[in-house]
Amino acid sequence: MDVTIKNEGAKTLVTLQGRLDTTNASDFQNDIQPLMEGEKPDIEIDCTDMEYTSSQGLRMFLILQKSVLARQGQLVMKNMKPQVKEVFDITGFSNIIKII
Amino acid sequence: MEKRFDPIKDKTAEIIEAIMQSPDMPNDDELLFKIRLSVEEAAENIVQYAYAEGEGYVVVKTERTPTNLLIITLRDEGVPFNPLEQDDPDITLSAEDRQIGGLGIFLCKKLMDKVSYTFENKCNILIMEKQL
Repeated sequence: MDVTIKNEGAKTLVTLQGRLDTTNASDFQNDIQPLMEGEKPDIEIDCTDMEYTSSQGLRMFLILQKSVLARQGQLVMKNMKPQVKEVFDITGFSNIIKII
Repeated sequence: MEKRFDPIKDKTAEIIEAIMQSPDMPNDDELLFKIRLSVEEAAENIVQYAYAEGEGYVVVKTERTPTNLLIITLRDEGVPFNPLEQDDPDITLSAEDRQIGGLGIFLCKKLMDKVSYTFENKCNILIMEKQL
């Protein structure tokens, strides 16, 4: 899973590319560490090229969302592939993370 | 297809590939996505929790019946554990109240048509079925 993080004004733009599974979830956790810092974060994650996520990946998104909410920020995920969106729907994650 | 992995420590990726490359698998990408995710969650559970230090085996088997029912079986001789007894996560809770974890087997149950568990001859046997 390739993670790109870019700051544009007050917004943090994140691009995810590839598969997020048991083999790389801990690397991913390190990669998104910068998103866990700072007040009132405004994070937008582009999922256009995110192919897959297992429960390990969902776990990371929940940890991130909890951290963002605790800092009065917001997190949006966009352009999710239908099969990935279905995983978010089944697990109720579509209700706890804003998906556009 | 039937294959034995022993020991299973750090073998999750190999176990998934062995199952996904079975000739019993369908050609449909959408089905393959669901099957792979279910297989990953089931395999990871066994690799992480069946044995102390992963020093044990798992036998994986795939079958396809004449009516195109795909049956995937994972058998281990680790700690007796029925993952289906775990409570489903409450998917109506807010992010603040949601617990981290507990999603793996829930996803298996939702993505496959049927998931069952038996304990036979000292073995945990997890069977996942999907109509192709």
